[in-house]
Amino acid sequence: MRVSRPVWLLSAAVLIFAGLTLAGLLRPARAATAPTEIKIGTLYASSGTFAVASQGQYQGLQYWAAAINKGGGVFVKAFNKKIPVKVIAYDDQSSTTTATTLYNQLITQDKVDVLIADFGSVLTSVAIPLAAEHHMLLIDPTGSGANFFTQKTDYLADVSIPTSAVWPVPLGKFILEQKIARVAILYDSNDFDVSQAETLKAALAAGGVTPVYYNGVPTTESNYSVLLHTIAAQNPDAVIELGYAPNDIAFLRDLASSGLHFKMTFTIFPGQLISLITKNVGAKALAYTYTYPTPPLVRFDSVTLGVNTDTFVKDFTATTKAAPNFLNAAGYNNGVIVQQMLATAPAFTQLDFHQALMDMSGKTRTLLGDFKINENGAQLGELLPVAQIVPDGDGTKFVVVYPQDKATGKAVYPAPQP
Amino acid sequence: MSLLEYALIGGILYGIFFALVAVGLNLIFGVMRIINIAHGQFVLLGGYGAFLLTSRAHLNPLYGVPLAVLGAIVVGVPLFRAVVPRLQKSSNPEMLSFILFFGIAQMIDAVLIMVFGADQRSLPQDALGAGSITVFGQSFPDSWWVASAASLLVLAGLYLYFNRTRLGFATRAIMASRDEALATGIDVERVSMISFVIGLALAGTAGVFVPYLLGSISPDIGNELTTTSFAVIIIGSLGNPLGTGIGGLVFGIGTLVMQTFFPSWSNLVPYALLVLIVLVRPAGLLGKSVRVT
Repeated sequence: MRVSRPVWLLSAAVLIFAGLTLAGLLRPARAATAPTEIKIGTLYASSGTFAVASQGQYQGLQYWAAAINKGGGVFVKAFNKKIPVKVIAYDDQSSTTTATTLYNQLITQDKVDVLIADFGSVLTSVAIPLAAEHHMLLIDPTGSGANFFTQKTDYLADVSIPTSAVWPVPLGKFILEQKIARVAILYDSNDFDVSQAETLKAALAAGGVTPVYYNGVPTTESNYSVLLHTIAAQNPDAVIELGYAPNDIAFLRDLASSGLHFKMTFTIFPGQLISLITKNVGAKALAYTYTYPTPPLVRFDSVTLGVNTDTFVKDFTATTKAAPNFLNAAGYNNGVIVQQMLATAPAFTQLDFHQALMDMSGKTRTLLGDFKINENGAQLGELLPVAQIVPDGDGTKFVVVYPQDKATGKAVYPAPQP
Repeated sequence: MSLLEYALIGGILYGIFFALVAVGLNLIFGVMRIINIAHGQFVLLGGYGAFLLTSRAHLNPLYGVPLAVLGAIVVGVPLFRAVVPRLQKSSNPEMLSFILFFGIAQMIDAVLIMVFGADQRSLPQDALGAGSITVFGQSFPDSWWVASAASLLVLAGLYLYFNRTRLGFATRAIMASRDEALATGIDVERVSMISFVIGLALAGTAGVFVPYLLGSISPDIGNELTTTSFAVIIIGSLGNPLGTGIGGLVFGIGTLVMQTFFPSWSNLVPYALLVLIVLVRPAGLLGKSVRVT
C-alpha cells in the first residue's frame, strides 16, 4: 500500500513526539542543586519574661551547630553530602507581636530550610499558623500547649518536651498514690499551664479527687500573698502552682514569708532552672517541695542519637565554661533531631522532613529520653517524673519519687515544718 | 469574711506601696507637663542599686534608699539640663517627652540586661524582718509592713514639703500655673529641676522594695511598672501628687479583693478602674477640673 506524503510526515511527527515524551517521563528526575548551607531559622528573646529560658534553648542550638560544622556540616540524604548549617536568629524580646513579624521574615525573606520556634508555648503559638500557611514544618522545641496538637498536621513537631497534656500524668498518679484528697491547683492563664491544669484535674478526677481550689491567674502575676491565704482557707494538703519561672520565684518567696505550710507544694521550674530558682528563693524555701526534674537532672545513659546526658554535660561544660541546664539540653536536642531528619529524608521538602520525623518516632532515644510524636505533632515520649527537692548540706538535691521504676528514693510526706 | 478582711488589709498595704511607686511620675508630670515613660525603669534602677548593696557590699537593702536619692541627683541633674528645658520650649512637650523618655527607657533596659542579664534578681528574704505582723487577726510578712511604712513616711514627707516649705509652695505654684509662677518671680527652671530629681528619687526609693512585693526584679518589668503607675495616678488625679495616695489605695484594694474572689481577672482591675474614672470623673478622684490646653 502506498502511503501519501502528508500522512507519512504526520505519522513520523507523532512517533517522534511520543518518543520524546516517553523519554522525558522515564528519565530520572534531575536532582535539585545542593545549597551551600542549610539555613536554620529561629528566634530567641534577649529580654522579657522568657529571656532566661529562651537564651538557654538558643545557646544549646548554637552549641550543636558549632559542633556539627566542625565536622563539615550535617549529612543531607537528599543531596548525599555533608552541608554546613547556618543558624539565622532574630530577637523577639519575648513579644508575640515581634515574634510574628520575625517568623514571617524567616519564612518569606530568609527562606530558611528548617524553622525552629522560640522557647515555650506563648512564643510558639504565633508560629504554628504561619508555618502551616506557608507549608513549613515547624520544629517546636518547648511549646507544649495541648491545644496546639488537636488535629493531624504535617507542619508541626514537638521535639524536646512532652505536650503539656501529658506532663502532669505522673504527678496526678503520685498524688493519688499518696492518698492526698485535698488538692489546690493555681495555674497561669496561658496554653502551657492551662492545659497542664486541665490534665491534672482530669487525672485526679479519675481517682475520685476534686480540687478544693482551682483557679487561674494572669501570667504576669507577681504577688501571691493574698492568693496563698485564700488557698490556705480551703485547707489543702497539696498545693500545685503551675506557672513560668518568674511566677514560681514569686510564689515560693511569698510562701516562705507567709508563715503558711502545706504538706506538699509543687512548682514546675525548679526542675528546669534550679540555679536561678535557688539564687532567688534560697535552698531553705525549696526544701521538700516537688517538681518535674528534667535532663540533665535525670540522666539517659543509653541513646540512639547524639550523645548521652553525661557526655553532653561534660562537653557542654568544657566548651561554654558553664554547666548546662534543661533548656541547653533542649536546644541541643533540637539540633540532633534536625540532623537525623536531614540524614534520612529522601527529598529536600518539608513533607519529607515531616515523614522522616514520623519514621524516627518510637525508634529514637536522645539525651532527653524516648522521642515519640503522634500525627498531630505532639510529643508523647520524654515523660517527666516527679521529684522532691530535699536538703543536702547547705544545698539541695533531687530525689525522684515517681514512677517507681525511675525512683531514687521515697517521698518525705508530709513535708516537715521549716 | 476573713478572706475579705485579709484582702482589704493587704490591699491597703499594697496600695500605699504602689502610691510610692507612682508618685514620682505624677510629680514630674504635674510640675513639668512631661511624661516620663521611663518611670518604671527608674524604679528598677533603685531595685538594682539595692541588689548591688546586698550582694556585693552585704549591706541591708534599706541603704538603697539614700543610694536612690544620690543616684537621682547624679543622673537627674544632667538629664534634666540636657532634655527638659528643650522639651518645654517645644510646641508639644507632652508628646515629645513621651517619645524621648521611651528612648531612655529602652536604653536603661539595654544597660540593665548588659550589666545584670535577663535573670530575675531578689533581695535577702529576711533583710526587712523574717517574721510577720498581725493586725485585726490578719498576718502579713514584715517586709510588707516595712515597705508600707517607708512609703507612708515618704508620702508624709512629700506632703510636708508641699505645705511647709518655700520650695514646696513654689512647686505648687508652678503646678497650678507655670506662667503665673514665672510672673511672680519664681525660678521655675530651678524648682522644676529639684522636682525632677525628687521624682526620680521617689521612683528609686520604691524600687528598693519592689523585690519584696513583686517577688523579684528583672529588666522586663519596667514597662509594666510604668503602666501600673499611670493607672494609679489617673485614678487619683493626674498632676496632683497627693491624689496618688488615693489612687494607690483604690488600686491596691481593688486588685487584692479581685485576686481573692476572681483571681483570673485581677490584672484587669487597674485598667478597668482607669477607664471608669476617665469616663465618670476625668480629673481623677481628687481632681478639681480637667486641664484644658
